[in-house]
Amino acid sequence: MSPAEPGPRAEAREHEPTHRRWVGAALAAGLAVALGAAMAGLPSDHAALPAVARYAMNVALPRWGLTEPVNEIVYGTRGFDTFGETFLLLAAVVSVILITRSKEPRRGYFGESAAGARERRRTDPAAPADASEQAARAAERREQDEPGPGDRAGPATPDAVPLGTPAPETAEAMTVVTRTAIRMALPVLAVAGLYLAAWGYSPGGGFPGGAVLTGVLLLVYAAFGRRRVARVIRPGLLEGIELGGATAIIVTELLGLILRGSFSANWLPLAAPGTILSGGIAQLFSASELIEVGTGLAITIFALIGMGHDWTPDERDSGREGGS
Amino acid sequence: MILVNYLAAAALLSIGLYAVLTRRNMIKMVMGLSLMEAATYLFMISLAYRSGSTAPVLLSPPPGQTEHSLVHGNVADPVLQNFCLTAVVIGVAVTAVFLSVVVRIAQHYRTLDSDRVRELRG
Repeated sequence: MSPAEPGPRAEAREHEPTHRRWVGAALAAGLAVALGAAMAGLPSDHAALPAVARYAMNVALPRWGLTEPVNEIVYGTRGFDTFGETFLLLAAVVSVILITRSKEPRRGYFGESAAGARERRRTDPAAPADASEQAARAAERREQDEPGPGDRAGPATPDAVPLGTPAPETAEAMTVVTRTAIRMALPVLAVAGLYLAAWGYSPGGGFPGGAVLTGVLLLVYAAFGRRRVARVIRPGLLEGIELGGATAIIVTELLGLILRGSFSANWLPLAAPGTILSGGIAQLFSASELIEVGTGLAITIFALIGMGHDWTPDERDSGREGGS
Repeated sequence: MILVNYLAAAALLSIGLYAVLTRRNMIKMVMGLSLMEAATYLFMISLAYRSGSTAPVLLSPPPGQTEHSLVHGNVADPVLQNFCLTAVVIGVAVTAVFLSVVVRIAQHYRTLDSDRVRELRG
């Protein structure tokens, strides 16, 4: 294909709008040069460890009973930093909840049917539907939890659909192969997430553990559909658990101030290093962090998924409908 | 030759900045910001590296070393690894907020093009 001939690639490039390429390139190149010059002066990989790092290596075992200095820094030496980071995450979750909030009061994350009702009415309701369209519409109504008068009730769960059922296929859940594979993987993944928080090199993997548990929730959602998870994944429950985790972190850190005289000090007895209870409050902090991160990420993702169809009407549309 | 890592981080940050400055698709701007975040992760992890060092874990020291010698020995910098953990969590939070704002803008203006958003003025 000659370069002048408009192919699919050329078309894609044409639709990529850009803004002041050359100014951007000059600024980015300037930043690269400045950073490159600054980085040439950085300490080399033979430099001695900074004092703060050596301090953390020194206190990790005797003062905290933690065999992993990174953990000791996260929950001990720089515990206040982690505390602030946690509440930055909470602030972000609250912002996402606020931004994605739908116009109607929300009981679940999935309000598509209510939000799209106006658009659905606009398609000609008087047009006669043939058999395949009726079947497709019945399946769609079933997915949206609002069966019409003539619809037979769908199976309660995707697993109840007999194999080899003809179309229309519902988009509610994935195929039986995927569902079975996810059923096998779920317990392993859930245990792995909890293991990261409870054990690992030393206790204290709250952040990655929470992320793994969010992944477990997402897998269940993807495989089994929203009807199966709607009872657990709903704002009222998740937001309550999230705030419970945040409260536990505040209490853990404040008790250090009250009992030991300094914020985020350890006030629990130390167990032997390498056991599940070693690390004192580090383990408590990490478990609360597991709750906080797991539910926070789940709230964020499901709020984004459930943002619904709150489209502002086009100018053409608003003229026809009397504006909004 | 850890300097190569530093320069790669600087290049990654500049590529991200270029994407943020020149793209008009707001999703791609958020992707550029994510790229800049990734550059900071690479930079901090490279800064933690020490030549010939071992991981800062005191559980089962490598042969020939004890926990005590490891405390004073050659290990990677744990503080910078902690910075990286913090940066990852904050990066996720910031990206989530940006994306939800972008979806709301797209729903309001019916476009992802930042120039057209400026023209329409709600």
